[in-house]
Amino acid sequence: MLPALRYATIASVSFKVLLYPAYTSTDFEVHRNWLAITHSRPISQWYYENLSEWTLDYPPFFAYFEWLLSQLAKYVDPAMLVVENLNYHNTATVYFQRSSVIASELVLVYALQHYVKLLPENAHQTAYAISMSILFSPGFLIIDNIHFQYNAMLFGILIFSFVYIRQGKMLTGGVLFAVLLCFKHIFLYLSPAYFVYLLRAYCLDIGSFRLNAPWAAIRVKNCIYLGSSIIAVALIAFGPFIYMGQLPQLLQRLFPFSRGLCHAYWAPNVWALYSAIDRSLFMVFRRFLKNPEYAQSNSSLTRGLVGVTSFSVLPDVHPQTTFLLTAFYQLLSLIPLIITPSFDKFISSLTLCGYASFLFGWHVHEKAILLVIVPFSFLALKDRRYLTPYFLLTVSGYISLFPLIFTSAEAFIKYLYTFTWIFVFYNVFGGLAPVGIARRVFLLDRIAILFLLGFIPLLAFVALYDQVSVLKNYEFLRLMIISTYCSVGIIGSFIGFSWLYFFTS
Amino acid sequence: MAESKLAKSREVSTKKNSSAATSPSDHSSTKAVNSDLSTEPDNTPLGVFLGTFKAARTQWVARQVIIMISLLFRLGVGLGPYSGKSVFPMYGDFEAQRHWMEITYHLPISQWYWYDLQYWGLDYPPATAYHSWVLGWLGSIINSTWFQLDSSRGCEDPNLISYMRMTVIVSDLAVYIPAVSMFIRWKMKSNKLSPFHHSISTAAILLQPSLILIDHGHFQYNSVMLGLALLGFTNILKDKLVIGSLFFVLALAFKQMALYYALPVFAYLLGICIFPRLNLPRFVSLAVSVLIALVGLLAPIALSSGFTLEGIYTQSLQVLIRIFPFARGLWEDKVANFWCAVNTFVKLKTLFSPDYLQRLSLIATLISVLPAFLLILFYPRKKALIWGVSASAWGFFLFSFQVHEKSVLLPLMPVTLQLVGEMDVNIQSYIYWINNVAMFSLFPLLKRDGLVMQYFAIFFLWNWLMSSSKRLPKFILGKLIVVTSYLAIVVLHILEFTIAPPAKYPDLWVVANTMLSFGCFFLFALWNNYILYQTCITKP
Repeated sequence: MLPALRYATIASVSFKVLLYPAYTSTDFEVHRNWLAITHSRPISQWYYENLSEWTLDYPPFFAYFEWLLSQLAKYVDPAMLVVENLNYHNTATVYFQRSSVIASELVLVYALQHYVKLLPENAHQTAYAISMSILFSPGFLIIDNIHFQYNAMLFGILIFSFVYIRQGKMLTGGVLFAVLLCFKHIFLYLSPAYFVYLLRAYCLDIGSFRLNAPWAAIRVKNCIYLGSSIIAVALIAFGPFIYMGQLPQLLQRLFPFSRGLCHAYWAPNVWALYSAIDRSLFMVFRRFLKNPEYAQSNSSLTRGLVGVTSFSVLPDVHPQTTFLLTAFYQLLSLIPLIITPSFDKFISSLTLCGYASFLFGWHVHEKAILLVIVPFSFLALKDRRYLTPYFLLTVSGYISLFPLIFTSAEAFIKYLYTFTWIFVFYNVFGGLAPVGIARRVFLLDRIAILFLLGFIPLLAFVALYDQVSVLKNYEFLRLMIISTYCSVGIIGSFIGFSWLYFFTS
Repeated sequence: MAESKLAKSREVSTKKNSSAATSPSDHSSTKAVNSDLSTEPDNTPLGVFLGTFKAARTQWVARQVIIMISLLFRLGVGLGPYSGKSVFPMYGDFEAQRHWMEITYHLPISQWYWYDLQYWGLDYPPATAYHSWVLGWLGSIINSTWFQLDSSRGCEDPNLISYMRMTVIVSDLAVYIPAVSMFIRWKMKSNKLSPFHHSISTAAILLQPSLILIDHGHFQYNSVMLGLALLGFTNILKDKLVIGSLFFVLALAFKQMALYYALPVFAYLLGICIFPRLNLPRFVSLAVSVLIALVGLLAPIALSSGFTLEGIYTQSLQVLIRIFPFARGLWEDKVANFWCAVNTFVKLKTLFSPDYLQRLSLIATLISVLPAFLLILFYPRKKALIWGVSASAWGFFLFSFQVHEKSVLLPLMPVTLQLVGEMDVNIQSYIYWINNVAMFSLFPLLKRDGLVMQYFAIFFLWNWLMSSSKRLPKFILGKLIVVTSYLAIVVLHILEFTIAPPAKYPDLWVVANTMLSFGCFFLFALWNNYILYQTCITKP
């Protein structure tokens, strides 16, 4: 392994080990339950088992991965593999599961190493900076090492996939992305960019397009390679379940359409802003209009906290609306990619696909912000103009993860770790990004910095929230403040990035 | 024998590398330092990380980042358990500190050193009591149940734990970290060292494993006392004598253990009042300000039961009785000091009366610190002060009465400070070595607290960051001692985790630990005195 990456890994591991005693969310129990299911139930039962409410709802590769882990787990403590041991939570189990997350992060490290090694010597400094920003990302620390998930590994596969594509190994890249989809289907959000890019750059050859023989533009051999290998991946993953006739059940587990527009805590997207406007209008109306419709009890104010949201003033949002909006913005981002299928454009459209699904999607988790941040990181150092949207995105995105960790012991870690990350990379990226040819809009940069500084009083206010007795009746307000402010930042970065993508270069 | 050879190697290397030892005004040596810096490889992991910030513009970023990272590791250790967690009925040091906040906040001052002494009666000097009062007051604003009189005993509310952990971090930030930065800045300026070395030294000191684990894992406020003492040393070194001695008095008033340092500091201050010529105004101003500070710190407690002579007498006497618990015996737990080591073979406590042992330990301590005292008194040199302070602290740790294993932090702090701008690999390696041995000597305590994983993580991190394993003494006997003791530590750790001690000697591993640590400490103390001697007698 490259020394710098090895050092970074060792340093981050020795810190993450200290987080073993930290609070674990329900996701810890979710994954323990999956270990138990895959280990002590036959494969035919995996997607039917429902003793725990945390049923298996990831695609089969992830289930296979859990099965593999369980082969090790049985030497640590067999009791954690018993499905009936709900909420089993002893030290050995915690240490095993936490260690498995840290070990799985090696995938990410090797992916980053692959990326660094691919670039010429004179670009190494930039590549290292980007790699470190991902490796030390507060997002992975909060979600994986405290809250508990395996995102770093999955994003490692994603990075491997597009670095292979950068290398020209389109087939490998495509197959890896298919594998990734079979690990966690949330990456479907990024698939339009993959589809279009592979189609345009690998399966078609526009140069040999002729009107009288349009099929000449199709690289038949490549199509067969790619098609057959993706089908092979899908068969390995889903084959056993198709054979057992469980595909409908599996798909139902993967795509539960009965959830609400916003997640329990509003992910900072357009709908968070929409809900916030709705709430504000509601409160204004209730005070100034004597309309009985608005005179309901306070309880309606907290509806945003439970799954299904309906709006009081603004029109309700239907799944179709969110789907159409997402599709529209994703398609928009694909147009330049179709015209000039360069690698940078591919990564840009990946980022924009992530943005579109995060900002407009139905029932988005705040954790999905990583889908935007990770691809964006690879563009951040293209030139200085990218830094403003990049920091708007990362700062707002990482801070929007804070409510995931609500215990006081870990609170200071999340604040300080994130602040350190921002402080380091703001300085490092600022020194590394080349000055672009085009003039920057300095005013906007200043506004962005002011906006980011606004997080300091905001977080202080939220931390002291419980002490302000006047606000006791407005419990939801605390979360709403964060998600609204973050959503402004993320939407701002979306606009900035889209402008750079569509109207410059 | 071994020591003289170690010292010879030091002598040779100082000749080769005279940079650190010569005065800053010597121009040619300054150049030598700088060329040394540019050629010194920075391929240690820490050097690689700091390489990112090599540009002069970003040097300050590097130092801030080091402070933030050292705080992060403190917070990380703080997630783990602490001493006496859920151990009914007495709990541990955490509960002691919490209890003091409770009693100082709720009781009148006159009660502070008298209230229910059986349950963690206050046994630190007044500044700790005031510190506790402030923290108890702040904490009670946040949640009044945390420090409710009597009913809060053994309170383990997670938010209380976070609050207590934060108070240690904030005390660190307010006292220890500024003190370390100030010392390093002074040393850098007087030795003309590069900002890069500034950062490396900051990391080496702030990530010192023993202090992190005791303060933020086990739970204590040692860094406050150490920081105050260090502020004292630094100000004295910067010739701000009155301020320096006031800080030192504060350190003494925070924890009486700062007495370990007192003799050399006193000797230095006295020495510069006498040599090269008698400076009576300086002496008088120092004496008066120290006395005023001491009286001022004690006054609120002494006067708490009225302005009568009797009240003052009883209160002050009680404070002294509580602070110096001569009734408690020569030592408590297994400690890597002389008495405990001898006791393994000769049962001291059955052979001699406690009074006799007390006198014996007093005499032994005085003999052990006498060289440092005299050397500093007659050669009050700036570069000798810190070595003198550590020599005296080793003497107290190894020979004095009622020593805790945690007290090794006291000699360790000035020793670790010597890493700042130290170019001699031999000296570096002994300092890393003694830090590791000290860490090892704390292992039984940390194991009891449930901090085994934190112990290994921080232990590893510090040594790895500094590449201490690559810095072995060049001198063969020194190398032999260091390598053998490292091997013994590894073997003992393996034994501890794989083989249960024989039923006849249930404490076998702990005893082996203290014996090994005592041997290393003793050798190091001798070497420390030798270095002090060298520093004092070489012509400036």
